[in-house]
Amino acid sequence: MDDKFLTEVQALAGAIDRLDYFAILKLPQTAGVAEIKAAYHRESRAYHPDRFAALPDPLLREAIGRIYRRINEAYTVLRDDAKRRKYVADITGPDRAAKLRFTEVDEAQVKEEQKRKVEQQFGQTPNGRKFYAAALADIQAQRWESAERSLRMALMYEPANAKFKEQLAFVEKSKPKADAFKIR
Amino acid sequence: MSDDIAVGIDLGTSYSAVAVVQDGAPQVIPNEWGERTHASVVSFLDDGTVLVGNNAKKNIITNAENTVYSAKRLIGRFYFSDEVKKAQAVMPYQILEGPNNAVRVQVRDKVFAVPEISALVLKEMKAIAETHLGREVKQAVVTCPAYFNDNQRQATKDAGRIAGLGVLRIINEPTAAALAYGFGKDIRQKICVYDLGGGTFDVSILEIGKDVFEVLSTAGDTYLGGDDFDDRIMAWLADDFLKRHGLDLRQNKYCLQMLKEAGERAKIEVGRDGTAQILVSGICQSPEGQVLDLKQKLDADQFNRMVMDLVQRTFKVCDEALQSARMTAGDIDAVILVGGPTRLPIVRQSVRHYFQKDPMVGIDPDEVVALGASIQASALLNRDAAVAGQASYLLDVTPLTLRVGTVGGYAEPIIDKNTPIPIEKSKTFTTSRDGQDRVKIRVYQGESKRAEQCELLGEFEFGGFRLGYRGEVQIQVTFEIDSNGIVNVSAADLETGQKTSTTISLSSGLSETDLQAAIDKNAELALAGH
Repeated sequence: MDDKFLTEVQALAGAIDRLDYFAILKLPQTAGVAEIKAAYHRESRAYHPDRFAALPDPLLREAIGRIYRRINEAYTVLRDDAKRRKYVADITGPDRAAKLRFTEVDEAQVKEEQKRKVEQQFGQTPNGRKFYAAALADIQAQRWESAERSLRMALMYEPANAKFKEQLAFVEKSKPKADAFKIR
Repeated sequence: MSDDIAVGIDLGTSYSAVAVVQDGAPQVIPNEWGERTHASVVSFLDDGTVLVGNNAKKNIITNAENTVYSAKRLIGRFYFSDEVKKAQAVMPYQILEGPNNAVRVQVRDKVFAVPEISALVLKEMKAIAETHLGREVKQAVVTCPAYFNDNQRQATKDAGRIAGLGVLRIINEPTAAALAYGFGKDIRQKICVYDLGGGTFDVSILEIGKDVFEVLSTAGDTYLGGDDFDDRIMAWLADDFLKRHGLDLRQNKYCLQMLKEAGERAKIEVGRDGTAQILVSGICQSPEGQVLDLKQKLDADQFNRMVMDLVQRTFKVCDEALQSARMTAGDIDAVILVGGPTRLPIVRQSVRHYFQKDPMVGIDPDEVVALGASIQASALLNRDAAVAGQASYLLDVTPLTLRVGTVGGYAEPIIDKNTPIPIEKSKTFTTSRDGQDRVKIRVYQGESKRAEQCELLGEFEFGGFRLGYRGEVQIQVTFEIDSNGIVNVSAADLETGQKTSTTISLSSGLSETDLQAAIDKNAELALAGH
């Protein structure tokens, strides 16, 4: 164990609150899933507390522990697509300094976002879901008129649902143009 | 000291084993009679000494009230839990309620906490190692099921301390098994460890890279094991006996023990030979004074039908683990079998069918965990590793979601399951009353949103922060899960950074004074046969 490594570890442990997760794993922000995993394994080989478990210096072990917990934290956030997207947006934004760690608030926001997406996908009110499902079946069967009616009903319950609006636009576009004034 | 030594101990529900790395090779340590696994049974003899191991197992019948077995099923549990209720119904020894809903075991006139019983098993393992190695052993790595919660891990660690062992680490049984198999140094592969023990079932999915064993996910059932297979045979035997003679063998704890032993033997026999002859002569007496024998024949088909649903339950757990790791059974490169019950052909066939792959059986499934633990023990003592690096690093995960209790009986997640450990996470709490001087939080582990359906780890009370109007004082609570999977909680005032005092107001574990008393009590108890 040379002194150079010791000072390096102490410096890293001291500076860790100023590093973002990419810097901790020594990765560019563009890194892919496989690179993140490889980096995690590489940093684990370097800073795993077991490697230093037999050393008598408690200060060093404490510093290593701090670094390694942060490595795990970085890995948990970056390996999760939704969390990573939010994190990248945070650290490239104006509040970078305050956003270097992914907090419980961020976590809650990501969960909220995911929940909203699912709801958009399927509707968030029981009636909205019912009409939307009916509309999807109609679209499948190319019953455009019926699909349009169902979607309009669904939108009555959830006027803000973007997915419903999108489907309605699609139906209106695909439905055969009828002559409005023609009397059958 | 270069001559430090540490052993690896597999503290099992029904059997335990101890191993050590010597000259770079891990090996299981046999006792003086050459036995390599030892029943986790503790029998308190008339002369005040304690008998542990396979000889103690014989006393389950002859000295039933004073012989404690399957203590691992009780360790770290609350008195009101289902497992304890179930144990009370079938165990011949006395299970009592201790302070803070803890479980106590009474043998003769002495009352023991469950970790104290496990400590006696560990003490026996320590003695076996010391006899074999001819030197004192003070340190060990002890294994526990991957799906153990914090209470159970803490209790296992306490057991080590009571036995006079420095517990270097608590590691998960499936992870230890993977370590024992070693695997190619530079080959990336994904493996599944299928660990069906005496009382618990665990599955871990690992990805093995260069020098690292990364656990991707773990799942388990702490109420499913080989004992449940025995129970099925017992129930069948007892029902059959009831029909024939009109006597229920389950009503008498003595008969029940004979029945249990017969069940276990039949299971092993049917697994080995495909058929089992069950004969227990003189199991009970009819009201007319006639001595009755229990005689039956069990064949493989019949046995398989009895336990098929139990085997199927293990694959539900496998599904869950694979799903957490975002994989399917086809992505797995190798399957490792751990635990005695995996010797049963029904289990092997089902595993082969599920993974579409022949499981690996190179190492004895009863010994593999102890071997892995010994490898980890020697790695933790290796001082050269700091420079040269280690042969393998374990990157393990927490099996259960850590939660804090919120209003309305809910528990909100803090650290998700399958998060790599060690890790820390903070959460900010604010005061809800003017001049509030303490904040209380309850910490849970489990997968339910309802607090009552999760395991309560403890109640923490923070005090000694500055006073202010409600909502003004913010307390940042840091939850840390260490490499043992044990949870630590600390708190600080968010604004000033001042650490607050923390008191644990509710916990299932032993207090420091209890622990000291237990250590002294343990030291007084002599092991028989040494």
